[in-house]
Amino acid sequence: MPKSGKQDVQSLLSRVPVLQGFDTQPWDLRGAQILPAIFEIAEEPAEFLLPPALHPSIPPYATFSLATFPDSPVGPFALAQVRVVGRAGVRPRGYLLGAYTTTEQAAVALRTRWGFALELGEIAIDQRHDRIIGQVRRGGEVILRLELENPEQISGADVAFLDSLHLVRVQQNDGERPLLIQVDPEYVFHSAQRGRPRLPVFQGAAWGTDGRLRCTNPVSAVFVRCDTDLPKLRFALDPLVEGARGRVQIGTVG
Amino acid sequence: MKFGIFYELSVPRPWDREAERKVYLNALEQVRLADELGFAYVWAVEHHFLEEYSHCSAPEIFLTACAMQTKNIRVGHGIVICVPEFNHPIRIAERAAALDIVSGGRLEFGTGRSATWTELGGFRANPDETKKSWDEFVHCIPQMWMQERFGYEGRYFSMPSRAVLPKPYQKPHPPMWVAVTTPGTELDAADRGLGCLGVTFASFAEQEAKVEEYRRRIKNCNPVGAFVNEQTSTVNFLYCHEDDEVGIKTGQRLLGTFNYLAAQLDMAREMYPTKSYPTAGLLPALRRQASGLGDGDRIPQGIAIGNPERIIRELKKWEAIGVDTVNFLLNAAEVIPQEEVLRSLRLFAREVMPAFADPRPAQAAAGGER
Repeated sequence: MPKSGKQDVQSLLSRVPVLQGFDTQPWDLRGAQILPAIFEIAEEPAEFLLPPALHPSIPPYATFSLATFPDSPVGPFALAQVRVVGRAGVRPRGYLLGAYTTTEQAAVALRTRWGFALELGEIAIDQRHDRIIGQVRRGGEVILRLELENPEQISGADVAFLDSLHLVRVQQNDGERPLLIQVDPEYVFHSAQRGRPRLPVFQGAAWGTDGRLRCTNPVSAVFVRCDTDLPKLRFALDPLVEGARGRVQIGTVG
Repeated sequence: MKFGIFYELSVPRPWDREAERKVYLNALEQVRLADELGFAYVWAVEHHFLEEYSHCSAPEIFLTACAMQTKNIRVGHGIVICVPEFNHPIRIAERAAALDIVSGGRLEFGTGRSATWTELGGFRANPDETKKSWDEFVHCIPQMWMQERFGYEGRYFSMPSRAVLPKPYQKPHPPMWVAVTTPGTELDAADRGLGCLGVTFASFAEQEAKVEEYRRRIKNCNPVGAFVNEQTSTVNFLYCHEDDEVGIKTGQRLLGTFNYLAAQLDMAREMYPTKSYPTAGLLPALRRQASGLGDGDRIPQGIAIGNPERIIRELKKWEAIGVDTVNFLLNAAEVIPQEEVLRSLRLFAREVMPAFADPRPAQAAAGGER
């Protein structure tokens, strides 16, 4: 059967967000700009970035994504994420390794309602004719620079984004429980461009990768304008139970 | 209706020295039995890098072994990848012709273009271009077979005039097919006079409409070869047992294992946005088929799993909507012991096949002469 992740989940739990429950009201996020890119990554170290619940994809790959949201219940904010892709059973999902956002209010909401493990940073997307550049700074230092070269228009219908899994601790009646919660936004694309991705700067230590995320092969980058959301939580997984057997339908979680 | 068997050659970990050999030898034993039992076709995929799911990267070798160990069963490429980074069209034509010769004119020539990033990325093929290169190849290969010498200036390959040798044993050439997974490819098949291979759709009603459209459209086709191969086939799973409960239970294991392995692959659409891959391709289609609603949610609609009566009932539905051939996956990752696979094949031949007796010989419907 397929390989499984080897991440030491227990060692991470002291640092992950704590959710008081799942009664999260969705956010509509209109007018978003999102710049995600996909890179194949070195296999063996990547196995240690995935929890035992997830199978590494074949070949393993990671997604780097920057997004700006001009309108939200907490005002404008931006979000940058690095995820490694794994499968719980059959569906590919991006397992969040590290994230940054731009405002304190957004950070609190994203952390406590959707389980984003994130820090504050500066995030900018610069759209030019020859390339689209995304950059993340922390304390003035560039920790990620992502470029989409030679953008060409494609149909939004051809774009597919993966859902995310976030490692969290959930408060229950009988104590805390580690879970992978699924965050599965919907998208209505207004425009899409595709190009070759470049990653001139990636400081893995700033993204919780322990030096284990090594990009080996650029695959694709897209830049979309879309309406999206942060939805109600629907599914969770036990991070330590292999494959889909650890699936939890939210509502049955205490 | 005719029946065939279809091989992915999936090899479970751990991959010790004997693991792959055992899968190949088991498959060959199944093919020999299928030939004796009157199955019409054995098909083999071309897949690369698909860990556990398919270790069938050199189907021409496997199919040659099949041909050498059998008498009547037709050997089918299901499919050859018509993308220049994978296969040069001259080599495709040469290898296929040689297989046709050594099999005594039993080759079915299926074509396609791959649907996974695992494969396309592995060969550094551009997903935007695969449909176009497939089209160029399927137009040129029959000409290489039929013309004494062939020369060409094209987009994906060019060659000065040369004799592409050997020529196929079947005259004018073997029947040609295309794997139909992406919506609309059945129309490409019809327009080019190609057979529809491995058509899988969400429902019988949907499939029926597509088959009808294929039959209507192919009447006005401009065939890429010398004749029209008007045939539709579908891929299915087979586990037949006298005891329906045992059949269902074992069959569920087969479906679940296949489904799980297939799901681990990186589909082209998932990683590289392109209009060239509007759906995720064959594997998810098979997955849908393997997990779709059916008899009390236990066995999906139309799947050949259970006792002979149940299987006849399900296959009659495919027959009723105009499918000519059903090709069966018999195992996945060796989850069913070999003896049980052979037993299932024998029972199917004894109890199910007579309900679908076809007086025609298993040969190209239109044109292929042996």
